Parts: sequence; structure tokens; C-alpha cells
Amino acid sequence: MWKPSRLLLSTLALAVILAACGAGAANTDTPGEDLPVTSADHFESHLADIDKPAIVNVWASWCLPCRAEAPLLEQAFQTYGSEVEFIGIDVQDNQPDARAFLAEFGLDFDHFFDKNREIANHYAGLGTPITFFFGPGGELITTHNGVIDERTLALNIDELMNLS
Amino acid sequence: MWAALTAVVFAWLGTRIWHERLPDHATDRMVGAAAAGLLVGRLVAMLLQGMNPLTNPADILIVRGGVHTGTATVAALGSYLWAANWKVAYLDATAPAALMGLAGWHTGCLWRGACLGTESSLPWAWAQSGSLITRHPVELYAAIGLILGAWVVSRLSWRILTRAGVALALAGLVRLLTEPMRPSITGGPVGWYLAAIAFGLAAAWAGRRLLTNLDPPT
Repeated sequence: MWKPSRLLLSTLALAVILAACGAGAANTDTPGEDLPVTSADHFESHLADIDKPAIVNVWASWCLPCRAEAPLLEQAFQTYGSEVEFIGIDVQDNQPDARAFLAEFGLDFDHFFDKNREIANHYAGLGTPITFFFGPGGELITTHNGVIDERTLALNIDELMNLS
Repeated sequence: MWAALTAVVFAWLGTRIWHERLPDHATDRMVGAAAAGLLVGRLVAMLLQGMNPLTNPADILIVRGGVHTGTATVAALGSYLWAANWKVAYLDATAPAALMGLAGWHTGCLWRGACLGTESSLPWAWAQSGSLITRHPVELYAAIGLILGAWVVSRLSWRILTRAGVALALAGLVRLLTEPMRPSITGGPVGWYLAAIAFGLAAAWAGRRLLTNLDPPT
């Protein structure tokens, strides 16, 4: 016999138990250099100088979905970093939290600080996170608004590598 | 959302096509089990990503960071059995419809524009918008495989756990066979697919050899 009350109670109990195991990390004393501050114009010219495809990920330390996709981006960088340029843009954030985020996830590619999210707005990205895919020379190929899954990231990397 | 609705429609169709010995409210039970599985899978995914569900409750429902597929599947099967008062044979009765529901979930790629896999020059391959590279519609392959699997399972004998075990093994096998056609960075959860195949076949074998004293549902 179907007993929704038992199911509800058990799932709630499970949620509490699992939640008790979870822990968010916050460290405002993480050592390291501040991220370089950039503007939309400067970033556009930076992209134009890159002679290979580029993946630009817009993130923030306060953005929970960014935490979800960070390990995947690091893995993609380790796998495709020699063929595709990976760049992170930290938006609407502060430098200590940004350093803590990068230290936590070990995102080992170049990052820029864009407090007023000029770059994301310049390329018409919505919300945070966003992943932009650029061809060699900085031509915007496609934009993925929201957290990116492995299959979408891999498919778009494959498309980019066929461009170059 | 569209993928979930398509899955429900396909599962309901499955219960209409293969209605023999189904428990009461079979579709409701399946949808309830799927919801419980998604909740558990979402909580596990949050914890693995270092998020606290208690301090970020909205992110449990706003599924922006994905669902842990393996634990979601185990939780869905467990909650279904619980809802069926541990009548294991009801798993057999709903197995074909469950495979149809999974097939529906895969066809949901049509609404999300996410059907395509690795490159292909086959006549039915197609390109994503703005691209010249044609690709396998791999998620539709999986859907077709699961529908065929549902038909095969519906033809099996009514020994306890036989249909359910074979259905689980076929679901794992279809994902395993289509995985090489999915663009991937990590290689995909191949271990979970192998586990599903092994566990499904073991359950079917145990049902035929060890649980012959249990009656199938009537």
C-alpha cells in the first residue's frame, strides 16, 4: 500500500543526515596574488591575440552552480589545455573570496577580475555562471548560460577544435 | 522539465501496452519513485560539490548543479519497492514501462537540443545549429535501444525478478554501448553501467534459482 507520509518523513530525515555531513568552505585569508582587473575592451583585444580557440567561463565565489562545474572545468583544462585556451572571469566578487575559490578548486588557468561584469554584458551573457566559446582570434561561436554539463562542454570543445 | 514530462508520458504508454499484472496506480508509483530518486541524487550531488542543502535549500529544487545518477537510481528502486510494500514481483510487472520511461527521458533531448554525440557521416546524422559537422543522434539511439529492451523484457517468463533483473541489465547495457558516442571528458559513469548489468543479471539468476517459492503478482 502506498504510504506517502512514510516516504516524506524518510526523505526529509535523509536530507537532514546528508546535510549534516556537508560543509561549505570560506577562507578570506587565502594567500596569493589578486586577480588582474580587466575591462571589456582590454579583454576583447586579449582574445584577438590568441591564435587558438578559447573557452571563457564567468564565475563568482558566491555562485553555488559555479562550484558544481568548477571540477569539470579543471578536468577539461587538464585534458585540452594545450589545444584550447581556458580563461576565467570572476564577476561581482571580492579578491579574497576569489582567491579562496581558486585555491579550493585548483583552477589552474588564467583568471581576470571583472567586478561590474562588463565582459559578460559585452558578450550578452545572462546570469552566472556563463561559458563562452570563442574561435581563434576571438570570434564568439556560442554561449552557454547557466551551469554546464560534461556532455555540452565536451561537444563544444570538439566543435572548437574542428575550427582550428 | 520537458524531458521529465516526456518520460512520464512514455512510462504511462508502457503501462497501457504492457498492463498485465500491474499493481494499482502503477504510473503514480513510478513517478513517485523517480521523484524520490531525483531528490536523493540531487542531495548527494550537492554534498559532493561541497554545498550544504540546509543552508541552500533553494538549490535542492533549482537543479542547476546536476543529479548523481547512480545513487538516484538506487534510491528510485528502493523507494519503489518500499511503496510496493516490498512485493519484489511488482518490479517485474512494471519493468517494461520503466524502460519506456527511460526511453522517454532520452527523447527529451529533442526539446533541449542535446541529442548529438560524436562525428558521423551516416545519412541520419545531423549538425547542431551553426555547425557543418554532422553527428550521431546518440540519445535517440539510446531511446530506441530502451524501447526494444522494453519489448524484449515483456516477452520474458514470469519468474520472480527475471523481468526486473534483465530490464536493469539492459538499461545499463544500452547506456554502456552508446557511451562511446557521447562526447566526454571523464569517460562517463561506466562503472555504474557495469554495476547495473552485473546486479541485474545476478538478480535475474537469483530469481530463477533461489526464489522459486515466491509467486509472481496476479
